[in-house]
Amino acid sequence: MKKVKYANTGEGPNFFVLDIGLEDRLAVIEPDTAFWALVEKDSLREALSGDLVSEFESKKDDFKKEMEYLRFGLTPSAVYFNPTERCNFNCTYRYLPEEMRRSGKTMSRQEVEDALAHLRSYFYEDLKIKQVKPQIIFHGSEPMLAKDAIFPAIETYSDDFVFGIQTNGTLLDDQDISFIQKHGIGVGISLDAPVQEIADKTRKSWSGKGAFSKLVDVIDKLSSYPGFNVISTVTSINVRYLPEMVDFCDRHNIRMIMFNPVRCTQKGGQQLKPDDSELALYFLKALDRVYEIYQEKQKKITITNFTNILAGIVGPTTRRLMCDISPCGGGRCFFALSAHGDLFPCSEFIGFPEFKGGNIFRDSVTDALKSVPFKEVTNRKAEDIDPCKRCAIRHFCGAPCPAEVHSFYGKLNAPSPYCSFYEELIRYAFRLIAEGRHELYLWEDWQEDTIERYRFGI
Amino acid sequence: MKSKKIISFRRQCKGATGTGLSHYIMLAPKK
Repeated sequence: MKKVKYANTGEGPNFFVLDIGLEDRLAVIEPDTAFWALVEKDSLREALSGDLVSEFESKKDDFKKEMEYLRFGLTPSAVYFNPTERCNFNCTYRYLPEEMRRSGKTMSRQEVEDALAHLRSYFYEDLKIKQVKPQIIFHGSEPMLAKDAIFPAIETYSDDFVFGIQTNGTLLDDQDISFIQKHGIGVGISLDAPVQEIADKTRKSWSGKGAFSKLVDVIDKLSSYPGFNVISTVTSINVRYLPEMVDFCDRHNIRMIMFNPVRCTQKGGQQLKPDDSELALYFLKALDRVYEIYQEKQKKITITNFTNILAGIVGPTTRRLMCDISPCGGGRCFFALSAHGDLFPCSEFIGFPEFKGGNIFRDSVTDALKSVPFKEVTNRKAEDIDPCKRCAIRHFCGAPCPAEVHSFYGKLNAPSPYCSFYEELIRYAFRLIAEGRHELYLWEDWQEDTIERYRFGI
Repeated sequence: MKSKKIISFRRQCKGATGTGLSHYIMLAPKK
């Protein structure tokens, strides 16, 4: 076989050269395999015509297989279970239509148990999973409105599933917290800002009252629990508070937080979308603050949605969340169940009936996964989207999120409304790797959970 | 890392690839 000497000509690989915002370093990327190298500017010639090219050629088939499996070979391992359409809060950026959240359906205890029985049958009999327990995440609207139905079900099915609850936290009492800790349930609490006047602006009850002080109390009770994290939804209202939110995490011993840009799946979210450049500015300042706190106190605070982007670069299969990959995890790594038992590729699609793929009480999950609406989502690939198909970092951001894109542009094959924000996050991640600071931003057991398969350095 | 002219590496997940979770509960306690 002819030995390939050069990148970008003849049989050689196509290496994109990327400015990562450093004076002395660039990134060289082969997008299809998510291969990258960080290169001194004076060594660019060597990167495009030296050992890096032959090294890539010798490993590219392994990298391709890995990406193929990650993108097309996985089966579901989690379900977003929405036991109620109702919410005790009326957040400005709500994800479901108002009539659903005010007076919608709540599952009975029997319905929750029946749905879990169907899911157990799907995972253990149809998929025949053996190694890892599937995960059920009770999700909202506000799942704690159905706690009388879900808590007994958790006890019944504790041998079959790992459970999580994503909640606004306002209905959690001491007994609930004890139950969560006793059963090892993952729990995410929503808090949008470190100060009451901002936090209560977007998250408030139907009568207009916020719950900041109650949430701080709940957070303080849960902070030492390993399965606990906080989720901040980032809007134009709280975006400037992200660095201060990191200090809040420090003060309240929160070890994991997500700064999720508000999903533009409903009008409220679209109206509160932060400007990409302002979002990038304050998000990166928050990441800087994580480093400063670590330097001052040796205390690690993980901004987990950034961690996932970084993990996707240092090892595509090491990512934990399946939003920033193309196709996204919706309908292939996880799916969602509505309070009516309807099956959707992801909770983000529950407000869009045209994306219903079946019903847990009437149809087989396997058939729902093969339905036209699910296939529309699972077939959405960065390679079919302009400009993603020309983008060097398409497999680091994954052109997320199809529900948001569909709502924003009226079609699935369009880039994320947050495209330029992701560009900045990924450049920042490369700077961390170049400066040898990336490990601070990965999770505690990162070294134990992953293994190095390839290294090149000259 | 700064002492190298060119650096590249890649890691792999040891166990199941991806937890299958979207952007919510990231690290539920291991059972």
